[in-house]
Amino acid sequence: MPNIDRRDFIKLVGAGGVGVGAGVVLRESIKHPREHLIPHVLAPEDYSSGVATWYNSVCSMCSAGCGISVRTREGRAKKIEGNPSHAVNQGGLCAVGQAGLQVLYNPDRVTGPLLQAAGRGSNDFTQITWDDGLTRVASRLDVLRAAGRGNRVAVLTRGTSGHLAELLEAFGQGLGTDRLLHYDYDHPHALHVANQRFFGEQQLPYYDLANTRHLLSFGADYLAGWLSPVHHSLGFAQSRHGGDHRGHFVQIEPRMSPSGAAADEWIPARPGTEGILALGLAHHIVASGHYEGDDVDAWQEVLSAYTLARVAQETDVSESTLRQLAESFANTRPSLAIGGDGAANNSNGVDTLVAINALNYLAGNVGEMGGVIFNPDPGGATSHSRQANYQTLAQLAESARSGEIDVLILNDANPVFTMPVASGFKAALEQIPFIVSLSSFIDETSALADVVLPSHTYLESWGDAFPEQGVGFSIGAVSQPVVAPLYDTKATGDIVLDLARRVGKPMPWNSTEECIKDGWNKIYQESDSNTKTESFESFWTALLKAGVWGKKNHRMTETSRPNANTIASIGVDAPTFSGDAEVYPFVLQPYLSTMHDGRAANLPWIQELPDAMTSVVYGSWVEMNPKTAKDLGLTEGDLVDVESPEGAVRAPILVYPAIRPDVIAMPIGQGHTNYGRYASNRGTNPLEILSPVVDENSGNVASNATRVKIVATGKHVEIVKTSGKSRDLGRDIVQTTGGDDHTAQTNSIPITVIPT
Amino acid sequence: MNVSIQPALKSLRTAALIALVAVVGVFMGYFIDFLITDNPEVSAPEQPIAFSHKIHAGDNEIPCQYCHTEARRSPSAGVPSVNKCMGCHNEVATDSPLIRQVSEYWENKEPIPWVKVHDLPDFVHFTHKRHVQAGIACQTCHGPVETMDKIAVHSRDNDGPTLMASTTGEITNSETSEVGATQNDHWEMGLCLNCHKQHDVVDGKAVRVDDGGFDNGLDCWTCHK
Repeated sequence: MPNIDRRDFIKLVGAGGVGVGAGVVLRESIKHPREHLIPHVLAPEDYSSGVATWYNSVCSMCSAGCGISVRTREGRAKKIEGNPSHAVNQGGLCAVGQAGLQVLYNPDRVTGPLLQAAGRGSNDFTQITWDDGLTRVASRLDVLRAAGRGNRVAVLTRGTSGHLAELLEAFGQGLGTDRLLHYDYDHPHALHVANQRFFGEQQLPYYDLANTRHLLSFGADYLAGWLSPVHHSLGFAQSRHGGDHRGHFVQIEPRMSPSGAAADEWIPARPGTEGILALGLAHHIVASGHYEGDDVDAWQEVLSAYTLARVAQETDVSESTLRQLAESFANTRPSLAIGGDGAANNSNGVDTLVAINALNYLAGNVGEMGGVIFNPDPGGATSHSRQANYQTLAQLAESARSGEIDVLILNDANPVFTMPVASGFKAALEQIPFIVSLSSFIDETSALADVVLPSHTYLESWGDAFPEQGVGFSIGAVSQPVVAPLYDTKATGDIVLDLARRVGKPMPWNSTEECIKDGWNKIYQESDSNTKTESFESFWTALLKAGVWGKKNHRMTETSRPNANTIASIGVDAPTFSGDAEVYPFVLQPYLSTMHDGRAANLPWIQELPDAMTSVVYGSWVEMNPKTAKDLGLTEGDLVDVESPEGAVRAPILVYPAIRPDVIAMPIGQGHTNYGRYASNRGTNPLEILSPVVDENSGNVASNATRVKIVATGKHVEIVKTSGKSRDLGRDIVQTTGGDDHTAQTNSIPITVIPT
Repeated sequence: MNVSIQPALKSLRTAALIALVAVVGVFMGYFIDFLITDNPEVSAPEQPIAFSHKIHAGDNEIPCQYCHTEARRSPSAGVPSVNKCMGCHNEVATDSPLIRQVSEYWENKEPIPWVKVHDLPDFVHFTHKRHVQAGIACQTCHGPVETMDKIAVHSRDNDGPTLMASTTGEITNSETSEVGATQNDHWEMGLCLNCHKQHDVVDGKAVRVDDGGFDNGLDCWTCHK
């Protein structure tokens, strides 16, 4: 036992004390922290804590109008699924629809009214009160309206359908302005015009993919973006696997889209010649006697120029392929031809789509199951009549430049991002003295706003949708709030109603909900007395529960016959492109990516979702045929400038085998400069460098009509993608050979070597 | 020549002793804290309002699920809203100082921040719904709540009976069951497993089985999911 003196004793006592204290602290610190049970003050009726409540609503991420079921717990939205009862998506939902939660919870949302006093685009916003914000807007509107100069107010909204569109319409009337524009970049203007010309109907028909046995798609990427991709995917699956037959799918497009990859045949016709190809097929169908209508002479005459030999030469598709296509299209019953996206976005877009309509007519697909079926009146307003095409926006810009517009009201539309820089649209908007934005996010267009009065997201507000491309019968659904508003925002409709009250033109509703209910009351009153419920309230409750409403009113039997003038007007000119083919050897095809027209780029889930064809994440790329890349000495990851007559964008090369050597493709959606932390300064926006080539018939920009050249920068980046290398790095795991080699050295080269 | 390191260590002896005392102290401190805070008499936390389960569930025989309404429908039993308290206390015992505290919360439209006593770690998925619907009485796990003025985790003696709730809500000792919980008086996995090993579900009710061979929900992911 060592001698312990007084000093050591004190040291020991101290050490012991500190040790015990440390032990207590240690245990306290690793213990589960004390939690609280916070009850409600007043318990809401419609949920139990710990139990999920599902609400049916409508997806607003694109214009397809799919029904959604949102799982909520304790008043928080947790998951979005497709509504199984909704005829459009039947329980399915695309990636963008699933990512709708990240719209709601996005950290870049505008959380309250803002004032941008420091100057447009400064992003220096100060918080203001709703009353202040509304007063600032209303005072300007009031002065203009009182002076009878309401037309100096312009409203530019994202495509809005249903009763909210009618509310906006009433607002415009109250102010006395007809400058009420809906704008979606991908609105199928050409398709509407083509259907008007051939069928005499502006409204989109229903394309019955589910029952068709032979689909001919001219550029329409129906599985990934065209009109109603979820519904088309269901139809595709049904036609392929659903019955006793297997549908045959053909895709005609210069760059393979997901629909092209899923097709049985992919035919890379020359860009812009899809309509000529369609008329070639029509020529063969008529010439070979498949069409037996009494106007066959008129058809023969108008199609006489489109001989297979000429068409083969113009489209770069062999005569035998064309003949085979025409035969199988005419002989397989029912068959269906659709056209859109790449085929519609050329200088001859409308003519092309008219040619495709003619092809359907001649093959006898109009008004037939598995063909083109006309939709009945959808029952609620669709946005088409107000949809702005390129020319309308150019006119708006012109009016702004000449000082004819004093106030611009923006609502979730982002034309500054999707309009070509050459249009000068942004500079024109800056001429408008006062801009107010009702958007939920600051985007490139809202950045120009002086005042931001933020709207609820679609998961927090009332609305309804009547999908225009339909399902062959009337269908609609109500969008109801599934959560209480997260921030100090208001419903778009409520803001508009408030403004209308303040300018002395009150509308007959106190809230958006009332307006929607009022609209549905009319539908209820008109409904069939056999199926009518006791009262509107019970109808309304049932409607909200089911999340969908429909009416048995097919128009199957109707067939629309084109008159002699229509037939005589059919014809497709060769496409025109901007830029000299000598200087700009490639045609640029910007295509809609998972980010849609760029609106989904601020959702991290969509950013990290690999592209369906290339598996690239988080960025932009330039798709190029391996042969072209070899000629230019480029490999994957080489940074290049894609130069058009209007400007240049920079992105890395991605060698993509399924594209014509004379075509370059780039995804749309990235390249935001001011759209929150996830989207900004990532990738490039190919729409910037488009030449303003306009399809005269639709008035819309021909986005596939710009020629470009590729200028190597000498820099190299690594493209982030999930699929790894497409080659076996010289290991000869699978030996392949090209068709040419195979025919050159007949019957001696095995396709695959199996080691013995 | 012998070289010893002992003289060199001698000077370190005191330092080593101090270190030893400190280490022992850490263990003691840890254990003391364990003894004190895990004793329900001591660890039962002060609640913002001294609510007595004895008065409500014991003396006045209010059924548990009158207030904990979610227990049969939801994983969590649910804490009554302030509105629910006021439903009775608008009339009952309005002069009591404790009830005035409740009214104050109600008038200010503020929730009462009750302190959670029965807490499972986040990696355990327990659902009240299944157990309540199988007829297991609340007291089986929560102890004789109706006798507690201040709610505490119940320390159980060995081999307590499993309590079953009859259809009338009356609590009885399970006729088929003599062995209930466990030697483990803490809320740990053994408490769950013992009961799961000894009970089967017949017609939606938990029934004691004697062969002990039934693996009723013994998969890891029954609870850890």
